[in-house]
Amino acid sequence: MAQADRTPQPGASLSPPRVFKLVLLGSGSVGKSSLALRYVKNDFKSILPTVGCAFFTKVVHMESASLKFEIWDTAGQEKYHSVCHLYFRGANAALLVYDITSKDSFLRARHWLKDLESEFLPGEVVVMLVGNKTDLSEAREVTFEEGKEFAESKKLLFMEASAKLNHQVTEIFDAVAQELLQREERVDPTQRGDPRLTLNQAPHPGRQAKCCAR
Amino acid sequence: MSLKSERRGIHVDQSELLCKKGCGYYGNSAWQGFCSKCWREEYHKARQKQIQEDWELAERLQREEEEAFASSQSSQGAQSLTFSKFEEKKTNEKTRKVTTVKKFFSASSRVGSKKAEIPEAKAPSPSINRQTSIETDRVSKEFIEFLKTYHKTGQEIYKQTKLFLEAMHYKRELSIEEQSEFTQDFYQNVAERMQTRGKVPPERVEKIMDQIEKYIMTRLYKHVFCPETTDDEKKDLAIQKRIRALHWVTPQMLCVPVNEEIPEVSDMVVKAITDIIEMDSKRVPRDKLACITKCSKHIFNAIRITKNEPASADDFLPTLIYIVLKGNPPRLQSNIQYITRFCNPSRLMTGEDGYYFTNLCCAVAFIEKLDAQSLNLSQEDFDRYMSGQTSPRKQESEAWSPDACLGVKQMYKNLDLLSQLNERQERIMSEAKKLEKDLIDWTDGITKEVQDIVEKYPLEIKPPNQPLAAIDSENVENDKLPPPLQPQVYAG
Repeated sequence: MAQADRTPQPGASLSPPRVFKLVLLGSGSVGKSSLALRYVKNDFKSILPTVGCAFFTKVVHMESASLKFEIWDTAGQEKYHSVCHLYFRGANAALLVYDITSKDSFLRARHWLKDLESEFLPGEVVVMLVGNKTDLSEAREVTFEEGKEFAESKKLLFMEASAKLNHQVTEIFDAVAQELLQREERVDPTQRGDPRLTLNQAPHPGRQAKCCAR
Repeated sequence: MSLKSERRGIHVDQSELLCKKGCGYYGNSAWQGFCSKCWREEYHKARQKQIQEDWELAERLQREEEEAFASSQSSQGAQSLTFSKFEEKKTNEKTRKVTTVKKFFSASSRVGSKKAEIPEAKAPSPSINRQTSIETDRVSKEFIEFLKTYHKTGQEIYKQTKLFLEAMHYKRELSIEEQSEFTQDFYQNVAERMQTRGKVPPERVEKIMDQIEKYIMTRLYKHVFCPETTDDEKKDLAIQKRIRALHWVTPQMLCVPVNEEIPEVSDMVVKAITDIIEMDSKRVPRDKLACITKCSKHIFNAIRITKNEPASADDFLPTLIYIVLKGNPPRLQSNIQYITRFCNPSRLMTGEDGYYFTNLCCAVAFIEKLDAQSLNLSQEDFDRYMSGQTSPRKQESEAWSPDACLGVKQMYKNLDLLSQLNERQERIMSEAKKLEKDLIDWTDGITKEVQDIVEKYPLEIKPPNQPLAAIDSENVENDKLPPPLQPQVYAG
């Protein structure tokens, strides 16, 4: 029944695009908010939230489909680390941001990854490691290779960027979007259903079966 | 005689077989020698007496508890921040406690009376039990009006909703988790059906889902908000106590980027606190979420005004924690649990409302775990503040505590102003005195100077000047002038 909903219809383009929740993680002042702000602001100045920049939405048009990012910024201070797992619920993607001029922030990113791993099944969420502040490369403490190696060992996407110079920012989010759509296609044959519902179902895999049986 | 004893050995005396009450029917040992009818009457009486006693006990206990509570509250009241807040909490807690006690006893008495077969003790039928308040009526009407615009789909939805509510009624005895799951399943089924069968476009589905949620949750609220089967109430009291114990936390300790000395900012803070407290008064989960969102917007505004740039999550979460600490919203845990259990799940995990709700959950979790380290304090300081031995406020007495209530703050400001005025007045007085003295000194000085000069140049009356005398002497010398010519008469 849901398949009918999926086949392209004349009015299908009007239906709102799929929503993906993306969580920004990383220690304080690594530039999580700046990355998101830069990404959202560049194309859509008018959409910029007037009050706060902790929650953003942005529609991305990829070649195959379009999707809507919901970006959740999190408090990076160490003292809030213990409560931050609450933000993970229902997330589809996570950006692990560290500052290339701070070894400490890179180590903290590993912590965040552990938290993520304890909350999600492998492959359930797209994780990307981002080294920010490449504009300060003379003060670099974490080499590109270090980041890349770590990302590869944990099967994460990896990129370095500079929110200040707007270098590679859009690329980060595009890569995540690409990966999300690809994974979706891979999962699709097994789990065809209303996209919005599969999205929300992630934490309760049993629910769908129960409803159908009823 | 012998016959009688023999008879007794074998038989029981005829009179002993009869009902003790002497109604003429036979009694039974199982009914303590009464006949069935009399036994029932006797038993009924005894039960009634028992119930009466239970009630008296319940009332006495309730009174005692109220008194004890009132006295404990009044002793605690001193440390409570503002009187109105304290008053509100007190009545809140009091009524809740009382109803719990009442419920407990009324439940037991109902069980008892059931045994005694009192007609009204029969399980209340659903129609009687469904107490319709004004609000439920209004919401029902609105819901029906709303569905009318959807014609056939609307009818279908109404039918399903009704069925769901009936089903929920019979699930009342189940655990709250099961009820929650049942509700969530219902949300999902209805949404799915609308999209596939009714071919309703997604935006409309969302709108209809909101209405359905409003309708069913207004009706279910009483039974599923803070149910007695859970320890929600205990958690509420625990967090309330915890927040009260943390009353000394200052914005500086939490690194809150909000400067409350700017009137506009403190205005926003007050509004945010009002919003978060208002959450408890709403029935529908979505309305509760709206309160949280409103509160968050005010917080963002406060930060923006203070910092002159939009706030990020690093600023937002500490401020929200501060607002929760300052507001101490009533029944916080119950509200969070209720929203989590009965809100449409798509609203909680995504969307702006969901984001702010998650932040509130984080704030509460943080407050529960809060320790010395998270406030950048030493363990000793933290323990001392927690035990109420000292307050960090005393150390910074020159700057009055920022979380004092508005009136006190105003008073401090006025006092400050008064003392400034006083100082100025004194200065003016001393200046005036000085001026007076200066004036006197000046007069004296002038007088002295004048005297000096007078002494130095005494006034001498000089003899008349020569020329002057000459003028006068002219007359004197007039004598020396030849006598005026005498007219001479010439005879001629």
